[in-house]
Amino acid sequence: MTEPSAILIADSDPVLRRFVGALLSHNGYQAHEAPDAETAIRLATALKPRLVVLDLMLPGRDGFEVINSLKADAATARIPVMVLSVKDREEDVVKALNLGAEDYVGKPFSTQELLARIRKILARSG
Amino acid sequence: MEPMRPLMIQIVTGVGAFLALLTVAIAINKALREMGEAFDRRRRTLLEPAVFEYLGATSSKPLLDYLPKSLSRRDRRLVEQILLEAARFTKGEARDRITAACEALLSVREAIRALRSRRWWKRADAAEKLGLMRSQTAVGPLVQLMGDEEPEARIRAARALGLIRGSTSIRPLVRALGDPSRWSAIRVAEILIHVGVEAVDELLAAFDTLPHSARISALDVLGRIRSLRSVGMLKHCLDDAHPDIRARAAHGLGLVGDSATAPDLIRALKDPEWPVRAMAAKALGRLGDPAAIGPLREAMKDRQWWVRANSGEALRHLGPEGCAALTDMLGSDDPYARHMAVAQLEEGRIIERYVADLTSNDPERHAAALRFIDKITAVARLNDRTRHAAAGTQEALRAALTNILKTPTTEGSR
Repeated sequence: MTEPSAILIADSDPVLRRFVGALLSHNGYQAHEAPDAETAIRLATALKPRLVVLDLMLPGRDGFEVINSLKADAATARIPVMVLSVKDREEDVVKALNLGAEDYVGKPFSTQELLARIRKILARSG
Repeated sequence: MEPMRPLMIQIVTGVGAFLALLTVAIAINKALREMGEAFDRRRRTLLEPAVFEYLGATSSKPLLDYLPKSLSRRDRRLVEQILLEAARFTKGEARDRITAACEALLSVREAIRALRSRRWWKRADAAEKLGLMRSQTAVGPLVQLMGDEEPEARIRAARALGLIRGSTSIRPLVRALGDPSRWSAIRVAEILIHVGVEAVDELLAAFDTLPHSARISALDVLGRIRSLRSVGMLKHCLDDAHPDIRARAAHGLGLVGDSATAPDLIRALKDPEWPVRAMAAKALGRLGDPAAIGPLREAMKDRQWWVRANSGEALRHLGPEGCAALTDMLGSDDPYARHMAVAQLEEGRIIERYVADLTSNDPERHAAALRFIDKITAVARLNDRTRHAAAGTQEALRAALTNILKTPTTEGSR
């Protein structure tokens, strides 16, 4: 089932997950956390969030593989993915966008910019 | 033996008692530490949401208004830890709030005091914290720490100054570039590159006062920061008396990538020193200006292998027109240029593409592929000999080989 404004944060850093989670909660979203790739895919399938905020360096499978898995499954293919990563090389950004990510935000990030981008993606995806 | 027995018993009892006491002390210490950690975890669940709410807020309310009224010393340390952890992945307004909070909690003052610790690792640790706190009040004490006797404390102070930024913190870093006896130029250069455009003005202002080796490092840093503000200085350095400076300046101009500097780099292709010509060729490949194609073709006949290699690579990076120029070079009367053209066409997988076109149904593509393969085959016949000729370092030997290779009969007989 889809919660009205559920957002899944997949990142191996627990402090970052809690920080982004708190930021989203204060702005009216329902934040869910995934510490690794497997949990991210499982929660995305179960919760059908309106957005997945995804790090590229996850334990187990990397973020690119997570995007691939989400886009290959009809149940999760339409969930927009925003990459939030310290990897800011041109080829990483292009690869993520080509695989189907909606947006790419580098770390360190501005909280206000992150929120603005999230709002824009959610408005676009209806 | 008999009189020794009570003494032996006393020694054994004493050692036993000491070991028992030590075990108890270790157990108590461990228990206390675990209790402290459990207490910290509980306190953190209370404090962390308040800190995160403060960092994500847009109001001007200070951090202390978000925290519980009675804040112990231990709580303050926890809040500082949470703030510094968040400092790793935030920028902009949230980052400024971290600095303000660290100043309000007096963490900055405490860390500055720790810079005077007798233990070097405490000084280094305090410097690192101050870098994350990014308070301008720490600049003076950190500049002082750059004169520390311990290299690790010095480099952490430099790194902290790089994180704090601002002209007062960047100036000592630029000065450090010029003191290789106390500083690793590579590490300082990395810090300045990380500072980015804010370091450019200081580097430009100090450039003429820097010693030779530091000027070379400064040119590398300016190139890697890729600010257009450094173009004037880099162009000026193309006329420097030292070839190292001219070569680094050419390399830097390529990294900056301002196409307006193409005429200057084309001029540098005629420099008397080959490292300058090689760097100019490489830079022209990065600029992507088609006006460089003609001069790069000429540079492929250079007497130095590096210049020819960089010129060929640059042509390859200049897109279809550059590749067409490389293909055209297969018919050059200069064997070294032909040799390099083949190498670059192989490297760019252009030969593979034409070979694939041999099976194309499109008659034009098929014919173009045949013409290309004919040219390549003709050069390949020369290659065994030109390879030796091109690798030769002696001018006379190469000139002799060139003359031999110009004689068509040797090829016709093969």
